[in-house]
Amino acid sequence: MNFRRMMAIAVVAAGGFWAVAAQAEETVAWWDFLGGGDGVRMKQMISDFNAAHVGKIKIDATTLEWGTPFYAKVQTSAAVGEAPDVMTYHASRIPLAVSQDLLEEITADDMSKMGLSASDFAQTTMGAVTVDGKQYAVPLDTHPIVLYYNRVLLKKAGVLGDDGRPVGMKNKEEFTATLQKLKDAGVEFPLGSVTADGNFMYRTIYSLVCQQGGELLTGNEFLAGDNGKKLANALAVLQGWTKAGLQSTYTDYPATVALFTSGKAAMMINGVWEVPTMTDLAKQGKLFDWGAVEIPVIFDKPCTYADSHSFAIPKNKGKEISPEKRAAVLEVISWIDKHSLFWATAGHIPAYKPVTETAEYKAMQPNATYSTLTANMIFDPKSTKAGVAGPIFDIMSNYFVPTLNGEMDPGEAVKSIKEELNSM
Amino acid sequence: MLRNSRTERLVALVLVAPFLAIYLLAFVYPTVQMFRISFTDAPLIGAGRWVGLDNYLRLDNDPMFRRAVWNTAYFVLMTVVPGTLIALLISLGVSRLQGRFQAIVLALFFLPYILPVSVVYLIWDWTLNFQFGIAMHVLDWLGIPRVPVFKSRVWFLPAVAGVTIWWTAGFSILLFLAGLRSIPAEIYEAAALDNSTRWTTFRRITWPLLWPITSLVFTIQLILQLKIFDQVYLFSIGGRPNDNMVLVYYIFQKAFQQNQGGRAAAVAVTLFVLVVVVSVLQFQLLRFAERRRR
Repeated sequence: MNFRRMMAIAVVAAGGFWAVAAQAEETVAWWDFLGGGDGVRMKQMISDFNAAHVGKIKIDATTLEWGTPFYAKVQTSAAVGEAPDVMTYHASRIPLAVSQDLLEEITADDMSKMGLSASDFAQTTMGAVTVDGKQYAVPLDTHPIVLYYNRVLLKKAGVLGDDGRPVGMKNKEEFTATLQKLKDAGVEFPLGSVTADGNFMYRTIYSLVCQQGGELLTGNEFLAGDNGKKLANALAVLQGWTKAGLQSTYTDYPATVALFTSGKAAMMINGVWEVPTMTDLAKQGKLFDWGAVEIPVIFDKPCTYADSHSFAIPKNKGKEISPEKRAAVLEVISWIDKHSLFWATAGHIPAYKPVTETAEYKAMQPNATYSTLTANMIFDPKSTKAGVAGPIFDIMSNYFVPTLNGEMDPGEAVKSIKEELNSM
Repeated sequence: MLRNSRTERLVALVLVAPFLAIYLLAFVYPTVQMFRISFTDAPLIGAGRWVGLDNYLRLDNDPMFRRAVWNTAYFVLMTVVPGTLIALLISLGVSRLQGRFQAIVLALFFLPYILPVSVVYLIWDWTLNFQFGIAMHVLDWLGIPRVPVFKSRVWFLPAVAGVTIWWTAGFSILLFLAGLRSIPAEIYEAAALDNSTRWTTFRRITWPLLWPITSLVFTIQLILQLKIFDQVYLFSIGGRPNDNMVLVYYIFQKAFQQNQGGRAAAVAVTLFVLVVVVSVLQFQLLRFAERRRR
């Protein structure tokens, strides 16, 4: 009797299971490269999405290695029809991706299906995902670099303003003096800099070039006219700080974050994606009083490098996406974008304007302090040679480490960069 | 007994077929493709226009290619001969030990060889990290200024060469030990009876009889180090391959970072020819040297 009842329950249960499966749940294969503190938040968002779409859509997410490995894998897998259904993509690489015929166009029809419109996004951000008037991705965020600082150390050195922000943010002399005061107050590294990683420093250096009104690409020429000189100026400032012992030398990315969080470095220029590292540590009571502001003006005007994480649909060769799958992908993109208030806790500035206009977002710290910088953002030049881990990024980065640590003259570095870029 | 040579040939063919198929598919076909692509301006994926010898002619005027060739040669110089000598010395030492103790010492030397390259990279990067490495604290303690081993232009290649020798010596040591064990004990006994000194014994007996193994180890090392990539790639994370550019890295950079498959293929063909020429030349030289010994 008991046994029969158990069998009956089992049969009913199995039947129920099949019934759910029969509703044809769409599985969306998702690839991203979000490996840091922001990756943890994205995993949370994905599981929230799955919970809200049980039986309808399920995201099957994979996180891959950031940079060249990610983009090379996307390219090779799309060529043989093994690409994911949706993936994160840096806006800066979209011209290159389009020239490789890698991405499906996002049509106006798609946008309206998602309940989104171009005016929901900042013009620069939307422009970054558009090539020749066609849209190829949906922006999720913009992620600039910011200046992190340790209020305790700054106060001790007398360089913390009454507003709780560092002083000396208006020009090179002022900022150098601030660093010097920190040094004099016994701080080992006034500025923690990622001097052993040219890839990272590209962002800072590009910002400093832009602060002089310089550009990397004019027409088809790299560093034309006095742009080379402007790049050399930017490198010279950073090299000067190395030589004066004001910033950490030969420090790789993880070590820089460690120098800052351990209190050995008083300030650090880093991406907003390290905000979760700080908030999490602070929540555990393991971090000092900290803040993050727009990077200082070293030259003529404020300017900060930024890029945008966006969502793109790869063009799978010989395995075109079905209309049902495409609808599911659009729902994924739309849902994540509309719930990107949580994504802002990863430090990023959501690209979807209705989110950044909410009172909750405006009250969020430290995002609110640095969100002013969006007015001074600059994206990579629009070129098939640009983008994260792309040719320009790669070639320039290779000369930064020896220059920043004083092994190479800035002029020599610029000369080689120019030669290499223009002979590509 | 009569043999059906036809059946025999068929059996042979069936037995060889799986290997042959894989060899054709995984080696011959890609090699042919590599030659073909090197004459086009193909991107990483997809076809390109025929450009003739253009990709090769551009190499002549390419400072980065020249640097890659020199750095590869420099790296080979730093690893192959020293690596072979170190392995020989260690195996001579290990062969004097006895029983279980010998096994333990041998295992200690062989252990790094088991590790994947990424683990090797992490171990050494942690040890020698400029800010937090254990070795740097030792330098501080000794009052010596810190050295950015894997980050400076001067130190990079020698440091990677050192790590490579540490990593790969285990295999060479095993080969040498096998060689040493195959030398009959009687010869040494005879030498001892003749009052031969240790040095004479080594020079007249061990070294000549070990020569085939030495040339084998040398050849394997040479081919392996000409193709150096993994370690250089991992230790250059963060963008600094230019001072340390080696040939395979250059191929990787051209193909995967600059999307120039054709030009990458031209460099690959050049390396392919280089490896074939150098290893054939080297092998012939060693054989010649061996013949002269007799």
